[in-house]
Amino acid sequence: MIPLLGRTAVLLALAACAVGLVTGVVAAVRRSPEALRWSRWMAYAFFGASTLATGLMEYALLTHDFSVDYVAEVGSRSTPVWVSIVSLWSSLDGSILLWAFVLGLFMAVFAWSTKGRHPEQTPWALATVHFVGVFFAFLVAGVANPFGLVDPAPADGPGPNPLLQNHILMVVHPPMLYLGYVGMTIPFAMGAAALFAGRLDAAWTRALRRWMLVPWGFLTVGIILGGWWSYEVLGWGGWWAWDPVENASFMPWLTATAFVHSAMVMERKDQLKGWTISLVLATFLLTLLGTFMTRSGVFNSVHSFTQSPIGPVFLGFLGVCLVGSVLLVAARVDAMSPPKEGLAGPASREMAFLGNNLLFAAFTFTVLIGTVYPLLNEAITGKQISVGQPYFDRMSAPIGIGIVFLMGVGPVLPWGRVEGAAALRRLAVPAVSAVVALGLGLLGGQRSGWVLATIALSGFALGATVLEVIEPARARARALGEGLGTAFGQVLVKARRRYGGYIVHVGVLIIAVAHAVATATTEKTTVTLIEGGSTQVGEYALTYLGAESLDEPHRRSLVARFGVSRAGEELGVLAPRLNHYKTMGQPIGTPEVRSGLDEDLYLSLINVDPVARSASVDVLIEPLVWWLWFGGGVMSLGTVVAAWPARRRTAAVVAPAAAAVDGVPS
Amino acid sequence: MKLNWKVLLAGLLLVVPLIGVLASGFGRDPRGVSNQLEGKLAPDFTLTTMEGSPVTRSNLTGAPVVLNFWSTWCQPCRVEHPHLQQAAQVYGARGVRFFGVLYNDTPEAARPFLARNGSLFPTLLDPSQRVAIDFGVAGVPETFILHPDGRIVRKFIGPVSFADLSAVLEPLL
Repeated sequence: MIPLLGRTAVLLALAACAVGLVTGVVAAVRRSPEALRWSRWMAYAFFGASTLATGLMEYALLTHDFSVDYVAEVGSRSTPVWVSIVSLWSSLDGSILLWAFVLGLFMAVFAWSTKGRHPEQTPWALATVHFVGVFFAFLVAGVANPFGLVDPAPADGPGPNPLLQNHILMVVHPPMLYLGYVGMTIPFAMGAAALFAGRLDAAWTRALRRWMLVPWGFLTVGIILGGWWSYEVLGWGGWWAWDPVENASFMPWLTATAFVHSAMVMERKDQLKGWTISLVLATFLLTLLGTFMTRSGVFNSVHSFTQSPIGPVFLGFLGVCLVGSVLLVAARVDAMSPPKEGLAGPASREMAFLGNNLLFAAFTFTVLIGTVYPLLNEAITGKQISVGQPYFDRMSAPIGIGIVFLMGVGPVLPWGRVEGAAALRRLAVPAVSAVVALGLGLLGGQRSGWVLATIALSGFALGATVLEVIEPARARARALGEGLGTAFGQVLVKARRRYGGYIVHVGVLIIAVAHAVATATTEKTTVTLIEGGSTQVGEYALTYLGAESLDEPHRRSLVARFGVSRAGEELGVLAPRLNHYKTMGQPIGTPEVRSGLDEDLYLSLINVDPVARSASVDVLIEPLVWWLWFGGGVMSLGTVVAAWPARRRTAAVVAPAAAAVDGVPS
Repeated sequence: MKLNWKVLLAGLLLVVPLIGVLASGFGRDPRGVSNQLEGKLAPDFTLTTMEGSPVTRSNLTGAPVVLNFWSTWCQPCRVEHPHLQQAAQVYGARGVRFFGVLYNDTPEAARPFLARNGSLFPTLLDPSQRVAIDFGVAGVPETFILHPDGRIVRKFIGPVSFADLSAVLEPLL
C-alpha cells in the first residue's frame, strides 16, 4: 500500500514542477498573470505532494513496513524510535526524498512571499525553482526511488549505518545542512531571474540578500554541528579533517559569505553586480557539487553513501547547471551592469569588501583544487593519491588570517574616498586591542607564529567591531539624551542587519582563536592501565575502575570506567565505550569528553583486555574546544538578528534624528 | 543580446575541465584497497566442515568457487541467505562449488539457523579467523568468487543477490 501511495505522491510532485516550470516561463515571456498564478499554485502543490511522500516514508519507517524498499534497506525492529525517524536521511534514496521535501518547503514560502511583488523577476525565479524541482522529483521517481516494492517483505532489516545511531546530534546535523544546501536554490533562482530579466533593482537585491542569509545561517549551524558530531563520536578528538564532504559544505559557505559582503557594495554603490550574481550562482552550483560528491561514490569519505546509479544522472544535471549558468551570465551580465565607475580609493570600505571577496574566492578555489586533485591525478597518471590535511592547513592559515584582518579593517573604514590619515586614526583602538590580545596569547603560553598572529588579529577585529557597536549608541545617547543602555538597544533594533553582522563577526573571531589554539596545543597520549591502576596525564590523574558489558537490542557495548581528578580535585567518572553493532564487524567507539571553559579532557577507548584486566585509552587534553561550539551559537544568534524580518510599520516611522545617528544601515 | 566573450571563456575554462575530472571518477572505487585481492591467487587454507570433513582450497581448482563469510548474528547475512541458496541450487548443478565460512560464531548457533533456513552447501569452521584474516575480511557478509584456476575474480562486501552472483558466475562457466 505504502509503495503505491508514495510513488503516486512522488509522481504528482514531478507533474506539479513540470507544469510550474512551463507556466513560469510563459508568465515571464508573455507577462501573463494567469500563468504566474498557475506557477505559484504548482509550487504549493509540489510542497504538498513532497510532504505527503515524506510523511508516508516516515510512517513506513516507524511501523517497520519492510515491503517498502527503503525500509527494508535501512529499517530494523531493534532500533530505538528516534533512530527509525532519522533513518530517513541515513541512506541515499531517503536523503533525496528529504531533499525534495525541504525544496518544497522553501519553494512554497518563496512563492507565497513574492505574491504581488517584483513582477519582472518573480516568474523567472519560480520557473528556475521548478526546474530544480523537476530534477529532484525525477530522481525520487526514478533512479533513487525509495518506494520500490519488496515482495515478499523480509521480517526484519539491518538498520541504518551504526555511525549514525551513535549520537543524538545525527538528529539535527543533516537536516540543518539540508536546509542550508537546498535553501540555496532560492537565491540561485533569484540570481538567474535577475539575469533573465536583465534587471537587478534595489528591492530584488534586498530580497535576495535575505533569502541568502537564511540558508547561509542553516549551513553555518550544520557545518558546526557536523564538527561537533565528529568530535563527540569519531574518537580522534578533532572536528575538521578537510574530508571531501566537509569541503563540499564549506565551499558554498565561502561563496555565500563572499556574497553577503559584496551584496552590500552592490546595494550601496551599484557596483560589482555581475560578480555578486556570479557568487549567488556559484553557491548553488557548489551545493550541487557537494551533493554529487556524497552520492556518486566517486569520493572516499566518512560521509559517502554506497555507489549508486545516481552519479551519472547527477553529474548530467550539474553539467547542465554549470554550463547554463556560464552562458546566462555571459549573455546577460552587460544588460545589468551599471555605468562604469571605478571603486573608491584603497582605504575605503568597498576596497576592504573587495579584498574580502578576493580572499573568499581564493579560499574556495584552494579547497576545490585540493578536493578534486586526487581525481585529476588519477585521471592523468592512473595512481590513487590523497591530498592531506597539510596542504589544506598550509593554504588556509594565511587566507584565514587575511580574512580576520579585513574583519577588523573593513568596519572602521568609511564608504567612499577617504584621507589616509583619517583612516589610520580610526585604527588606533583596534591596534591597542590587538596588542592586548597578543599579550594575553603570550601569557597563555602560545608560541606558534600562526597562532599568535590569529590571536592578535582577532583582537584587532574585535576592537574594531566593539567600537563600531558602541560609537553609534554613544552618539545617539548624546543626541537624544537617552541612557546608554536604551540607546544601545534602539541602535541594535534600528540597524539590525548591520549589528547582526557584527555579532556574527564576534562568533567567527571566537572560533578562529579557539580553532588555532586548540589545533596547535592539543596534547595526546595513549595509556594502558590495569584495573585499579592510576596514571598522571598533564594535570589529570586517571584511575581505571573496570569495564562492563552492556547489552542493547541493536548493539553490545563495552564500557570502561575511569575515575578522574584534576590537581587533586575529584571530577567524577568518565566512561568511554566501544560499541559492537550487530551489523558491523568492527567496533565503533564513543569517546567521553569532560568539557571546561579552559580545556577539554577527551577519553577515547581503544581496547579492553578482559584477561589481563587492562584497558588502553587515548587521552587528549584540548584547550578552548568548548568555545568552538559557543562561537557557533554566537554566529547563529547574529544571523537571526540580521535576517529577522523588519516590521514594515516601524520602518516607516523612523524619526529623522534617530536615523541620522544610526549611521549607515549596511 | 550580446555575449560577453570574456566571461563566457573564463567560465567555460573553469567549468568544462571540472565536469571532465568529475566524470573521469566514475567506475573508480575510492576504496581501492578492497580490490587489491582481485586477480590474485586466493590464499590457501584447509578447514573442516561442521560435519568434520577437511576442505583444502588448492584442491578445489577446476570449477568456480563461491566462498561466503557469514555469521548468525549478522542481519545482512540473513537477507542474502535465500539468494545464496538459490544460487547454489542453480549453479551447484552446473559445477560451481559453494562454501560458507562461519565468522566469529559457533557451530551451536549455526546448526539451528541452517536447519531452519535451509542449507544446500557446507559451512566451514574458521575458529581462529585465520582464513578470514588471510582474505582480508573486515566484516560480514563478504563473498569471494574464485576462478577455476584459483584466482579471486570478485569480492562482494555486504549482502549479495542472486543477480550479483549470476553476473559473475555465468562468464566463468
